[in-house]
Amino acid sequence: MSETGATRTTADTGRVVSGSLGRWLTIAGGVLFWGWLLARWLNNWLLPAGVGVPPGESFLDPAAVAPISDSLAFAVEYLPQLADAAWLTVVLTVVSIALGFVLAVPVSVARVYGTYSSTVSLAFTELIRGTPLLAQLFVLYYALNLSTLFRGLPDGGVLPSAVVYVAIIGFTINSVAYQAEYIRSALLSVDREQLTAARAIGLSQRQGIRHVVLPQALRFAIPGWSNELVYLIKYSSLAAFITVPELFNVARSIAADNFAYTGIFALVAVLYLGLVISASKLMAGVERRVAIPGLGSTTSQ
Amino acid sequence: MSDHDPLLAVESVSKRYGDERVLNDVSFTMDRGDVTVMMGPSGSGKSTLLRCVNRLTDVDSGEIRLGDHRVTDPGIDVDALRRDVGMVFQDINLFTHLTALKNVTLGLREVRGFSKDDAREAATEQLERVGLGDQLDSYPGELSGGQKQRVGIARALAMEPDLLLFDEPTSALDPELVGEVTAVMADLAAGGMTMLVVTHEKGFAREAATDALFLDAGSIAERGPPAQLFENPENERTAEFLDRVSTVSGEP
Repeated sequence: MSETGATRTTADTGRVVSGSLGRWLTIAGGVLFWGWLLARWLNNWLLPAGVGVPPGESFLDPAAVAPISDSLAFAVEYLPQLADAAWLTVVLTVVSIALGFVLAVPVSVARVYGTYSSTVSLAFTELIRGTPLLAQLFVLYYALNLSTLFRGLPDGGVLPSAVVYVAIIGFTINSVAYQAEYIRSALLSVDREQLTAARAIGLSQRQGIRHVVLPQALRFAIPGWSNELVYLIKYSSLAAFITVPELFNVARSIAADNFAYTGIFALVAVLYLGLVISASKLMAGVERRVAIPGLGSTTSQ
Repeated sequence: MSDHDPLLAVESVSKRYGDERVLNDVSFTMDRGDVTVMMGPSGSGKSTLLRCVNRLTDVDSGEIRLGDHRVTDPGIDVDALRRDVGMVFQDINLFTHLTALKNVTLGLREVRGFSKDDAREAATEQLERVGLGDQLDSYPGELSGGQKQRVGIARALAMEPDLLLFDEPTSALDPELVGEVTAVMADLAAGGMTMLVVTHEKGFAREAATDALFLDAGSIAERGPPAQLFENPENERTAEFLDRVSTVSGEP
Protein backbone atom coordinates (compact mmCIF):
# COMPACT_ATOMS: atom_id res chain seq x y z
CA MET A 1 0.00 0.00 0.00
CA SER A 2 2.87 2.34 0.71
CA GLU A 3 3.78 2.22 -2.94
CA THR A 4 0.44 3.61 -4.11
CA GLY A 5 1.65 7.20 -3.98
CA ALA A 6 4.76 6.46 -5.97
CA THR A 7 2.82 4.45 -8.53
CA ARG A 8 0.33 7.26 -9.00
CA THR A 9 3.12 9.75 -9.57
CA THR A 10 4.66 7.54 -12.22
CA ALA A 11 1.26 7.06 -13.83
CA ASP A 12 0.69 10.82 -13.90
CA THR A 13 4.08 11.46 -15.45
CA GLY A 14 3.33 8.66 -17.85
CA ARG A 15 0.11 10.36 -18.88
CA VAL A 16 1.90 13.64 -19.52
CA VAL A 17 4.47 11.85 -21.65
CA SER A 18 1.83 9.82 -23.48
CA GLY A 19 -0.21 13.03 -23.95
CA SER A 20 2.50 14.68 -25.99
CA LEU A 21 3.45 11.33 -27.51
CA GLY A 22 -0.18 10.87 -28.57
CA ARG A 23 -0.09 14.30 -30.14
CA TRP A 24 3.02 13.45 -32.10
CA LEU A 25 1.59 10.09 -33.16
CA THR A 26 -1.58 11.84 -34.36
CA ILE A 27 0.44 14.32 -36.37
CA ALA A 28 2.69 11.60 -37.78
CA GLY A 29 -0.35 9.45 -38.63
CA GLY A 30 -2.06 12.41 -40.29
CA VAL A 31 0.98 13.30 -42.37
CA LEU A 32 1.43 9.67 -43.41
CA PHE A 33 -2.27 9.16 -44.23
CA TRP A 34 -2.74 12.39 -46.19
CA GLY A 35 0.73 12.26 -47.72
CA TRP A 36 -0.04 8.85 -49.09
CA LEU A 37 -3.56 9.77 -50.28
CA LEU A 38 -2.33 12.95 -51.99
CA ALA A 39 0.56 11.04 -53.57
CA ARG A 40 -1.92 8.51 -54.97
CA TRP A 41 -4.20 11.21 -56.38
CA LEU A 42 -1.30 13.22 -57.82
CA ASN A 43 0.03 10.05 -59.39
CA ASN A 44 -3.36 9.28 -60.93
CA TRP A 45 -4.45 12.65 -62.20
CA LEU A 46 -1.48 14.95 -62.59
CA LEU A 47 1.55 12.91 -63.62
CA PRO A 48 1.80 12.32 -67.36
CA ALA A 49 1.31 8.72 -68.46
CA GLY A 50 4.46 6.69 -68.09
CA VAL A 51 5.67 8.64 -65.07
CA GLY A 52 4.77 7.16 -61.68
CA VAL A 53 2.66 4.00 -61.51
CA PRO A 54 -0.60 3.22 -63.35
CA PRO A 55 -3.76 4.09 -61.34
CA GLY A 56 -4.69 1.33 -58.94
CA GLU A 57 -1.21 -0.12 -58.82
CA SER A 58 0.90 -0.02 -55.72
CA PHE A 59 4.05 2.09 -55.28
CA LEU A 60 5.60 -0.97 -53.61
CA ASP A 61 5.65 -4.44 -55.01
CA PRO A 62 3.27 -6.58 -52.88
CA ALA A 63 5.52 -9.58 -53.49
CA ALA A 64 8.42 -7.72 -51.85
CA VAL A 65 6.58 -7.28 -48.55
CA ALA A 66 4.98 -10.73 -48.60
CA PRO A 67 7.86 -12.32 -46.65
CA ILE A 68 7.26 -9.78 -43.81
CA SER A 69 3.54 -10.35 -43.47
CA ASP A 70 0.73 -11.69 -45.65
CA SER A 71 -1.68 -9.09 -44.29
CA LEU A 72 0.72 -6.31 -45.20
CA ALA A 73 1.07 -7.69 -48.72
CA PHE A 74 -2.74 -7.83 -48.98
CA ALA A 75 -2.98 -4.19 -47.85
CA VAL A 76 -0.25 -3.06 -50.24
CA GLU A 77 -2.03 -4.80 -53.09
CA TYR A 78 -5.53 -3.41 -52.54
CA LEU A 79 -5.08 -0.07 -50.77
CA PRO A 80 -4.16 1.80 -53.99
CA GLN A 81 -7.53 1.07 -55.61
CA LEU A 82 -9.29 2.05 -52.41
CA ALA A 83 -7.27 5.27 -52.16
CA ASP A 84 -8.29 6.16 -55.70
CA ALA A 85 -11.92 5.54 -54.79
CA ALA A 86 -11.56 7.60 -51.61
CA TRP A 87 -11.05 10.64 -53.89
CA LEU A 88 -14.73 10.49 -54.83
CA THR A 89 -15.73 10.01 -51.19
CA VAL A 90 -13.84 13.20 -50.33
CA VAL A 91 -15.27 15.09 -53.31
CA LEU A 92 -18.83 14.02 -52.51
CA THR A 93 -18.45 15.02 -48.86
CA VAL A 94 -16.62 18.31 -49.28
CA VAL A 95 -18.71 19.65 -52.16
CA SER A 96 -22.03 18.58 -50.59
CA ILE A 97 -21.25 19.93 -47.15
CA ALA A 98 -20.03 23.24 -48.62
CA LEU A 99 -23.02 23.74 -50.94
CA GLY A 100 -25.29 22.53 -48.17
CA PHE A 101 -23.85 25.10 -45.77
CA VAL A 102 -24.35 27.98 -48.19
CA LEU A 103 -28.01 27.00 -48.56
CA ALA A 104 -28.58 25.99 -44.93
CA VAL A 105 -27.81 29.48 -43.61
CA PRO A 106 -30.74 31.17 -45.40
CA VAL A 107 -33.01 28.18 -44.73
CA SER A 108 -32.32 28.37 -40.98
CA VAL A 109 -32.62 32.16 -40.89
CA ALA A 110 -35.97 31.87 -42.70
CA ARG A 111 -37.09 29.27 -40.19
CA VAL A 112 -36.24 31.46 -37.20
CA TYR A 113 -37.05 34.96 -38.47
CA GLY A 114 -39.39 34.43 -41.42
CA THR A 115 -43.16 34.23 -41.49
CA TYR A 116 -44.26 32.40 -44.66
CA SER A 117 -40.71 31.40 -45.43
CA SER A 118 -40.57 29.82 -41.98
CA THR A 119 -43.35 27.42 -42.94
CA VAL A 120 -41.68 26.59 -46.25
CA SER A 121 -38.39 26.00 -44.45
CA LEU A 122 -40.08 23.78 -41.86
CA ALA A 123 -41.87 21.74 -44.52
CA PHE A 124 -38.63 21.22 -46.47
CA THR A 125 -36.71 20.21 -43.36
CA GLU A 126 -39.36 17.75 -42.19
CA LEU A 127 -39.73 16.20 -45.65
CA ILE A 128 -35.99 15.66 -46.05
CA ARG A 129 -35.30 14.53 -42.51
CA GLY A 130 -38.37 12.32 -42.50
CA THR A 131 -37.44 10.22 -45.54
CA PRO A 132 -34.44 7.94 -46.05
CA LEU A 133 -31.44 9.40 -47.84
CA LEU A 134 -31.25 6.32 -50.05
CA ALA A 135 -34.86 6.89 -51.16
CA GLN A 136 -33.98 10.50 -51.98
CA LEU A 137 -31.05 9.36 -54.12
CA PHE A 138 -33.28 6.84 -55.90
CA VAL A 139 -35.86 9.54 -56.67
CA LEU A 140 -33.19 11.75 -58.20
CA TYR A 141 -31.46 8.97 -60.10
CA TYR A 142 -34.25 6.59 -61.17
CA ALA A 143 -37.47 8.63 -61.03
CA LEU A 144 -36.18 12.00 -62.22
CA ASN A 145 -33.33 10.49 -64.22
CA LEU A 146 -31.21 13.52 -63.37
CA SER A 147 -27.96 12.08 -64.64
CA THR A 148 -29.09 12.78 -68.24
CA LEU A 149 -28.75 16.47 -67.35
CA PHE A 150 -25.01 16.06 -66.85
CA ARG A 151 -24.28 13.68 -69.73
CA GLY A 152 -22.70 16.35 -71.89
CA LEU A 153 -20.12 17.40 -69.30
CA PRO A 154 -16.55 16.24 -69.74
CA ASP A 155 -15.65 13.46 -67.38
CA GLY A 156 -12.96 10.90 -66.73
CA GLY A 157 -9.71 11.25 -64.85
CA VAL A 158 -9.99 13.81 -62.11
CA LEU A 159 -13.39 15.00 -63.36
CA PRO A 160 -16.39 13.17 -61.95
CA SER A 161 -18.92 11.41 -64.14
CA ALA A 162 -22.55 12.49 -64.54
CA VAL A 163 -23.85 10.28 -61.78
CA VAL A 164 -21.53 11.94 -59.26
CA TYR A 165 -23.34 15.24 -59.85
CA VAL A 166 -26.62 13.50 -59.08
CA ALA A 167 -25.16 12.16 -55.83
CA ILE A 168 -23.86 15.65 -54.94
CA ILE A 169 -27.34 17.12 -55.51
CA GLY A 170 -28.87 14.43 -53.32
CA PHE A 171 -26.35 14.81 -50.50
CA THR A 172 -26.55 18.61 -50.70
CA ILE A 173 -30.35 18.65 -50.38
CA ASN A 174 -30.19 16.18 -47.52
CA SER A 175 -27.38 18.04 -45.80
CA VAL A 176 -29.15 21.40 -46.08
CA ALA A 177 -31.98 20.03 -43.93
CA TYR A 178 -29.67 18.73 -41.22
CA GLN A 179 -27.25 21.68 -41.25
CA ALA A 180 -30.18 24.09 -41.11
CA GLU A 181 -31.35 22.38 -37.93
CA TYR A 182 -27.93 22.73 -36.30
CA ILE A 183 -27.74 26.39 -37.32
CA ARG A 184 -31.35 27.03 -36.26
CA SER A 185 -30.70 25.84 -32.72
CA ALA A 186 -27.54 27.96 -32.65
CA LEU A 187 -29.51 31.01 -33.84
CA LEU A 188 -31.99 30.44 -31.03
CA SER A 189 -29.21 30.29 -28.47
CA VAL A 190 -28.02 33.82 -29.32
CA ASP A 191 -29.40 36.26 -26.74
CA ARG A 192 -32.43 38.00 -28.29
CA GLU A 193 -31.27 41.33 -26.91
CA GLN A 194 -28.25 41.19 -29.23
CA LEU A 195 -30.58 41.82 -32.15
CA THR A 196 -32.45 44.47 -30.14
CA ALA A 197 -29.15 46.27 -29.54
CA ALA A 198 -28.37 46.08 -33.26
CA ARG A 199 -31.79 47.48 -34.15
CA ALA A 200 -31.35 50.22 -31.54
CA ILE A 201 -28.33 51.68 -33.38
CA GLY A 202 -30.33 51.72 -36.61
CA LEU A 203 -29.33 48.44 -38.26
CA SER A 204 -32.15 46.79 -40.19
CA GLN A 205 -33.28 43.31 -39.17
CA ARG A 206 -31.32 41.88 -42.09
CA GLN A 207 -28.13 43.76 -41.16
CA GLY A 208 -28.56 42.78 -37.51
CA ILE A 209 -28.88 39.11 -38.40
CA ARG A 210 -25.94 39.27 -40.78
CA HIS A 211 -23.50 41.24 -38.63
CA VAL A 212 -24.54 40.35 -35.09
CA VAL A 213 -26.62 37.18 -34.82
CA LEU A 214 -25.06 34.95 -37.48
CA PRO A 215 -21.39 35.48 -36.51
CA GLN A 216 -22.26 34.36 -32.99
CA ALA A 217 -24.64 31.58 -34.02
CA LEU A 218 -22.22 30.02 -36.50
CA ARG A 219 -19.60 29.79 -33.77
CA PHE A 220 -22.13 28.13 -31.46
CA ALA A 221 -23.05 25.74 -34.29
CA ILE A 222 -19.55 24.35 -34.90
CA PRO A 223 -19.61 21.36 -32.49
CA GLY A 224 -23.02 20.12 -33.67
CA TRP A 225 -22.27 20.92 -37.27
CA SER A 226 -19.08 18.84 -37.09
CA ASN A 227 -21.37 15.85 -36.50
CA GLU A 228 -23.03 16.45 -39.83
CA LEU A 229 -19.65 16.47 -41.56
CA VAL A 230 -18.71 13.18 -39.93
CA TYR A 231 -22.07 11.63 -40.83
CA LEU A 232 -21.80 12.79 -44.41
CA ILE A 233 -18.39 11.16 -44.89
CA LYS A 234 -19.96 7.83 -44.02
CA TYR A 235 -23.35 8.42 -45.67
CA SER A 236 -21.55 9.21 -48.92
CA SER A 237 -21.23 5.41 -49.21
CA LEU A 238 -24.92 5.34 -50.19
CA ALA A 239 -23.84 6.81 -53.53
CA ALA A 240 -22.70 3.27 -54.31
CA PHE A 241 -26.37 2.35 -54.82
CA ILE A 242 -26.70 4.78 -57.71
CA THR A 243 -23.46 3.41 -59.24
CA VAL A 244 -20.99 6.08 -58.09
CA PRO A 245 -17.58 4.35 -57.87
CA GLU A 246 -16.72 5.77 -54.46
CA LEU A 247 -14.90 3.98 -51.64
CA PHE A 248 -17.66 1.60 -50.54
CA ASN A 249 -18.67 0.69 -54.09
CA VAL A 250 -15.12 -0.09 -55.19
CA ALA A 251 -14.50 -2.13 -52.04
CA ARG A 252 -17.67 -4.12 -52.71
CA SER A 253 -16.63 -4.99 -56.24
CA ILE A 254 -13.08 -5.93 -55.25
CA ALA A 255 -14.48 -8.18 -52.53
CA ALA A 256 -16.93 -9.73 -54.99
CA ASP A 257 -13.92 -10.73 -57.09
CA ASN A 258 -11.54 -12.06 -54.45
CA PHE A 259 -14.04 -13.01 -51.70
CA ALA A 260 -11.74 -11.42 -49.09
CA TYR A 261 -14.65 -9.43 -47.63
CA THR A 262 -13.18 -9.16 -44.14
CA GLY A 263 -9.79 -7.98 -45.34
CA ILE A 264 -11.12 -5.47 -47.84
CA PHE A 265 -13.70 -3.99 -45.50
CA ALA A 266 -11.13 -3.79 -42.69
CA LEU A 267 -9.01 -1.63 -45.01
CA VAL A 268 -12.10 0.42 -45.94
CA ALA A 269 -12.85 0.93 -42.26
CA VAL A 270 -9.32 2.24 -41.69
CA LEU A 271 -9.72 4.70 -44.56
CA TYR A 272 -13.11 5.97 -43.32
CA LEU A 273 -11.66 6.24 -39.83
CA GLY A 274 -8.76 8.29 -41.16
CA LEU A 275 -11.13 10.63 -42.98
CA VAL A 276 -13.44 11.00 -39.98
CA ILE A 277 -10.62 11.66 -37.50
CA SER A 278 -9.12 14.21 -39.89
CA ALA A 279 -12.50 15.93 -40.16
CA SER A 280 -12.98 16.15 -36.40
CA LYS A 281 -9.42 17.38 -35.85
CA LEU A 282 -9.95 19.97 -38.57
CA MET A 283 -13.21 21.20 -37.03
CA ALA A 284 -11.71 21.32 -33.55
CA GLY A 285 -8.96 23.48 -35.05
CA VAL A 286 -11.50 25.74 -36.75
CA GLU A 287 -13.40 26.06 -33.47
CA ARG A 288 -10.21 27.09 -31.63
CA ARG A 289 -9.25 29.49 -34.37
CA VAL A 290 -12.52 31.41 -34.43
CA ALA A 291 -13.04 31.32 -30.65
CA ILE A 292 -13.66 34.67 -29.00
CA PRO A 293 -12.96 35.31 -25.31
CA GLY A 294 -16.21 35.21 -23.37
CA LEU A 295 -18.34 33.87 -26.24
CA GLY A 296 -20.03 30.47 -26.04
CA SER A 297 -17.99 27.38 -25.28
CA THR A 298 -14.83 29.34 -24.50
CA THR A 299 -16.38 30.75 -21.31
CA SER A 300 -16.32 27.36 -19.64
CA GLN A 301 -12.63 26.82 -20.27
CA MET B 1 -44.03 77.56 -35.64
CA SER B 2 -43.76 78.35 -31.97
CA ASP B 3 -40.36 79.41 -30.70
CA HIS B 4 -40.56 76.54 -28.28
CA ASP B 5 -40.79 73.32 -30.24
CA PRO B 6 -39.72 70.57 -27.87
CA LEU B 7 -37.20 67.97 -29.10
CA LEU B 8 -39.29 65.15 -27.66
CA ALA B 9 -43.02 65.33 -27.15
CA VAL B 10 -44.87 62.47 -25.55
CA GLU B 11 -48.64 63.01 -25.63
CA SER B 12 -51.25 60.87 -23.87
CA VAL B 13 -49.36 57.64 -24.47
CA SER B 14 -51.04 54.46 -23.26
CA LYS B 15 -49.91 50.88 -23.57
CA ARG B 16 -51.20 47.63 -22.18
CA TYR B 17 -49.89 44.09 -22.19
CA GLY B 18 -52.99 41.92 -22.05
CA ASP B 19 -55.04 43.11 -19.09
CA GLU B 20 -52.16 45.00 -17.55
CA ARG B 21 -52.01 48.75 -18.15
CA VAL B 22 -48.31 49.50 -18.43
CA LEU B 23 -48.61 53.13 -19.49
CA ASN B 24 -51.67 55.21 -18.77
CA ASP B 25 -52.04 58.57 -20.50
CA VAL B 26 -48.41 59.67 -20.10
CA SER B 27 -47.48 63.13 -21.38
CA PHE B 28 -44.26 65.12 -21.09
CA THR B 29 -41.82 67.06 -23.24
CA MET B 30 -38.07 67.51 -23.35
CA ASP B 31 -36.11 70.37 -24.88
CA ARG B 32 -32.73 70.05 -26.49
CA GLY B 33 -30.11 69.79 -23.75
CA ASP B 34 -32.55 68.56 -21.12
CA VAL B 35 -31.53 65.71 -18.87
CA THR B 36 -34.64 64.04 -17.52
CA VAL B 37 -34.38 61.35 -14.92
CA MET B 38 -37.20 58.84 -14.65
CA MET B 39 -37.73 56.94 -11.42
CA GLY B 40 -40.37 54.62 -10.15
CA PRO B 41 -40.99 51.17 -8.79
CA SER B 42 -40.38 48.05 -10.79
CA GLY B 43 -43.20 47.51 -13.28
CA SER B 44 -44.22 51.16 -13.33
CA GLY B 45 -43.62 51.36 -17.09
CA LYS B 46 -40.27 53.17 -17.21
CA SER B 47 -38.54 50.76 -19.60
CA THR B 48 -41.65 50.42 -21.75
CA LEU B 49 -41.82 54.20 -22.11
CA LEU B 50 -38.17 54.34 -23.22
CA ARG B 51 -38.74 51.56 -25.72
CA CYS B 52 -41.76 53.41 -27.13
CA VAL B 53 -39.54 56.42 -27.85
CA ASN B 54 -37.29 54.46 -30.24
CA ARG B 55 -40.08 52.13 -31.40
CA LEU B 56 -38.66 48.95 -29.94
CA THR B 57 -42.24 48.83 -28.59
CA ASP B 58 -45.41 50.21 -30.21
CA VAL B 59 -47.85 52.37 -28.27
CA ASP B 60 -51.57 51.52 -28.14
CA SER B 61 -52.69 55.13 -28.24
CA GLY B 62 -51.24 58.60 -27.97
CA GLU B 63 -48.48 60.24 -29.95
CA ILE B 64 -44.71 60.65 -29.71
CA ARG B 65 -42.70 63.09 -31.79
CA LEU B 66 -38.95 63.43 -31.86
CA GLY B 67 -37.71 66.35 -33.93
CA ASP B 68 -39.09 65.64 -37.40
CA HIS B 69 -39.89 62.01 -36.66
CA ARG B 70 -43.51 61.16 -35.97
CA VAL B 71 -42.43 58.21 -33.87
CA THR B 72 -45.84 56.62 -33.37
CA ASP B 73 -46.85 56.88 -37.03
CA PRO B 74 -47.00 53.25 -38.21
CA GLY B 75 -45.55 54.10 -41.62
CA ILE B 76 -42.28 55.70 -40.54
CA ASP B 77 -38.82 54.36 -41.28
CA VAL B 78 -37.88 53.05 -37.84
CA ASP B 79 -34.24 52.59 -38.84
CA ALA B 80 -34.01 56.29 -39.69
CA LEU B 81 -35.62 57.16 -36.35
CA ARG B 82 -33.20 54.95 -34.45
CA ARG B 83 -30.24 56.65 -36.10
CA ASP B 84 -31.29 59.74 -34.16
CA VAL B 85 -31.99 58.04 -30.82
CA GLY B 86 -29.26 56.20 -28.95
CA MET B 87 -30.00 53.59 -26.33
CA VAL B 88 -27.95 52.27 -23.44
CA PHE B 89 -29.26 49.05 -21.93
CA GLN B 90 -29.48 47.69 -18.42
CA ASP B 91 -28.00 44.41 -19.63
CA ILE B 92 -25.45 46.39 -21.67
CA ASN B 93 -25.87 44.06 -24.68
CA LEU B 94 -22.52 44.67 -26.28
CA PHE B 95 -22.04 42.59 -29.40
CA THR B 96 -20.25 39.71 -27.73
CA HIS B 97 -18.26 38.62 -30.78
CA LEU B 98 -16.79 42.04 -31.50
CA THR B 99 -14.00 44.04 -29.86
CA ALA B 100 -14.79 47.31 -28.13
CA LEU B 101 -13.71 49.17 -31.26
CA LYS B 102 -15.79 47.01 -33.60
CA ASN B 103 -18.83 47.39 -31.35
CA VAL B 104 -18.64 51.09 -32.08
CA THR B 105 -17.62 50.92 -35.75
CA LEU B 106 -20.43 48.52 -36.77
CA GLY B 107 -23.11 51.20 -36.69
CA LEU B 108 -20.79 53.78 -38.25
CA ARG B 109 -19.99 51.47 -41.15
CA GLU B 110 -23.37 49.89 -41.76
CA VAL B 111 -25.76 52.68 -40.79
CA ARG B 112 -23.84 55.90 -41.33
CA GLY B 113 -21.80 54.59 -44.25
CA PHE B 114 -18.39 55.59 -42.92
CA SER B 115 -15.27 54.27 -44.63
CA LYS B 116 -13.22 51.79 -42.65
CA ASP B 117 -10.61 54.36 -41.66
CA ASP B 118 -13.12 57.09 -40.81
CA ALA B 119 -15.13 54.65 -38.70
CA ARG B 120 -12.02 53.57 -36.85
CA GLU B 121 -11.03 57.13 -36.16
CA ALA B 122 -14.49 58.20 -35.01
CA ALA B 123 -14.90 55.10 -32.84
CA THR B 124 -11.50 55.58 -31.24
CA GLU B 125 -12.46 59.14 -30.41
CA GLN B 126 -15.71 58.03 -28.75
CA LEU B 127 -13.95 55.30 -26.77
CA GLU B 128 -11.34 57.79 -25.61
CA ARG B 129 -14.16 60.09 -24.55
CA VAL B 130 -15.45 57.38 -22.18
CA GLY B 131 -11.92 56.64 -20.96
CA LEU B 132 -11.33 53.40 -22.85
CA GLY B 133 -8.72 54.46 -25.35
CA ASP B 134 -6.51 51.65 -24.07
CA GLN B 135 -9.12 48.89 -24.52
CA LEU B 136 -9.91 49.23 -28.23
CA ASP B 137 -9.09 45.63 -29.05
CA SER B 138 -10.56 43.98 -25.96
CA TYR B 139 -13.57 41.74 -26.32
CA PRO B 140 -16.57 42.30 -24.03
CA GLY B 141 -15.65 39.08 -22.21
CA GLU B 142 -12.35 40.69 -21.22
CA LEU B 143 -13.86 43.90 -19.81
CA SER B 144 -15.36 44.70 -16.43
CA GLY B 145 -19.05 45.57 -16.16
CA GLY B 146 -18.32 49.27 -15.87
CA GLN B 147 -15.99 49.21 -18.87
CA LYS B 148 -18.57 47.31 -20.88
CA GLN B 149 -21.26 49.86 -20.10
CA ARG B 150 -18.91 52.67 -21.10
CA VAL B 151 -18.40 50.91 -24.45
CA GLY B 152 -22.20 50.72 -24.64
CA ILE B 153 -22.36 54.48 -24.19
CA ALA B 154 -19.63 55.06 -26.79
CA ARG B 155 -21.53 52.81 -29.22
CA ALA B 156 -24.66 54.92 -28.81
CA LEU B 157 -22.74 58.24 -28.92
CA ALA B 158 -20.98 57.35 -32.15
CA MET B 159 -24.27 57.58 -34.00
CA GLU B 160 -24.44 61.24 -32.90
CA PRO B 161 -28.02 60.91 -31.71
CA ASP B 162 -30.31 63.84 -30.90
CA LEU B 163 -31.49 61.99 -27.83
CA LEU B 164 -29.82 59.36 -25.70
CA LEU B 165 -31.98 56.88 -23.76
CA PHE B 166 -30.56 55.12 -20.71
CA ASP B 167 -32.45 52.11 -19.35
CA GLU B 168 -31.13 51.59 -15.81
CA PRO B 169 -27.53 51.71 -17.08
CA THR B 170 -25.96 50.95 -13.71
CA SER B 171 -28.35 48.51 -12.06
CA ALA B 172 -26.60 45.41 -13.40
CA LEU B 173 -23.20 46.63 -12.18
CA ASP B 174 -21.30 45.90 -9.01
CA PRO B 175 -21.67 48.91 -6.68
CA GLU B 176 -18.02 49.94 -6.96
CA LEU B 177 -18.32 50.17 -10.76
CA VAL B 178 -21.36 52.45 -10.78
CA GLY B 179 -19.35 55.63 -10.27
CA GLU B 180 -17.26 55.33 -13.45
CA VAL B 181 -20.44 55.03 -15.53
CA THR B 182 -22.38 57.86 -13.87
CA ALA B 183 -19.28 60.06 -14.18
CA VAL B 184 -19.29 59.54 -17.96
CA MET B 185 -23.03 60.26 -18.04
CA ALA B 186 -22.58 63.44 -16.02
CA ASP B 187 -19.88 64.55 -18.48
CA LEU B 188 -22.26 64.02 -21.38
CA ALA B 189 -24.98 65.96 -19.58
CA ALA B 190 -22.58 68.81 -18.94
CA GLY B 191 -21.64 68.74 -22.62
CA GLY B 192 -25.25 69.47 -23.60
CA MET B 193 -26.42 65.98 -24.63
CA THR B 194 -30.20 65.49 -24.37
CA MET B 195 -30.72 62.46 -22.15
CA LEU B 196 -33.73 60.53 -20.87
CA VAL B 197 -32.44 58.37 -18.06
CA VAL B 198 -34.17 55.65 -16.08
CA THR B 199 -32.08 55.33 -12.95
CA HIS B 200 -32.27 55.23 -9.19
CA GLU B 201 -28.91 56.94 -8.75
CA LYS B 202 -30.03 60.03 -6.85
CA GLY B 203 -26.49 61.38 -6.79
CA PHE B 204 -26.38 61.47 -10.57
CA ALA B 205 -29.88 62.93 -10.73
CA ARG B 206 -29.00 65.72 -8.32
CA GLU B 207 -25.76 66.56 -10.07
CA ALA B 208 -26.75 66.25 -13.70
CA ALA B 209 -30.50 66.18 -14.27
CA THR B 210 -32.57 69.20 -15.21
CA ASP B 211 -35.71 67.49 -14.02
CA ALA B 212 -37.05 64.28 -12.62
CA LEU B 213 -40.18 62.26 -13.31
CA PHE B 214 -41.71 59.84 -10.87
CA LEU B 215 -43.68 57.13 -12.61
CA ASP B 216 -46.15 55.01 -10.67
CA ALA B 217 -48.44 52.34 -12.14
CA GLY B 218 -48.01 53.69 -15.65
CA SER B 219 -48.70 57.35 -14.86
CA ILE B 220 -46.51 60.31 -14.08
CA ALA B 221 -47.19 60.83 -10.38
CA GLU B 222 -44.88 63.79 -9.98
CA ARG B 223 -42.48 65.90 -11.97
CA GLY B 224 -40.05 68.60 -10.89
CA PRO B 225 -36.46 69.63 -10.40
CA PRO B 226 -34.58 66.70 -8.83
CA ALA B 227 -33.72 68.57 -5.65
CA GLN B 228 -37.35 69.51 -5.04
CA LEU B 229 -38.61 66.01 -5.86
CA PHE B 230 -36.12 64.43 -3.48
CA GLU B 231 -36.41 66.89 -0.59
CA ASN B 232 -40.12 67.69 -0.65
CA PRO B 233 -42.04 65.12 -2.63
CA GLU B 234 -45.69 66.09 -2.84
CA ASN B 235 -46.95 62.66 -3.68
CA GLU B 236 -47.10 60.06 -0.93
CA ARG B 237 -46.02 57.22 -3.24
CA THR B 238 -43.01 59.26 -4.38
CA ALA B 239 -41.96 59.91 -0.82
CA GLU B 240 -42.32 56.28 0.15
CA PHE B 241 -40.40 55.05 -2.89
CA LEU B 242 -37.56 57.55 -2.60
CA ASP B 243 -37.26 56.65 1.03
CA ARG B 244 -36.78 52.98 0.17
CA VAL B 245 -34.28 53.75 -2.60
CA SER B 246 -32.25 55.80 -0.11
CA THR B 247 -32.21 52.93 2.36
CA VAL B 248 -30.83 50.63 -0.32
CA SER B 249 -28.21 52.97 -1.73
CA GLY B 250 -27.35 54.30 1.73
CA GLU B 251 -27.57 57.85 0.52
CA PRO B 252 -29.07 60.33 3.02
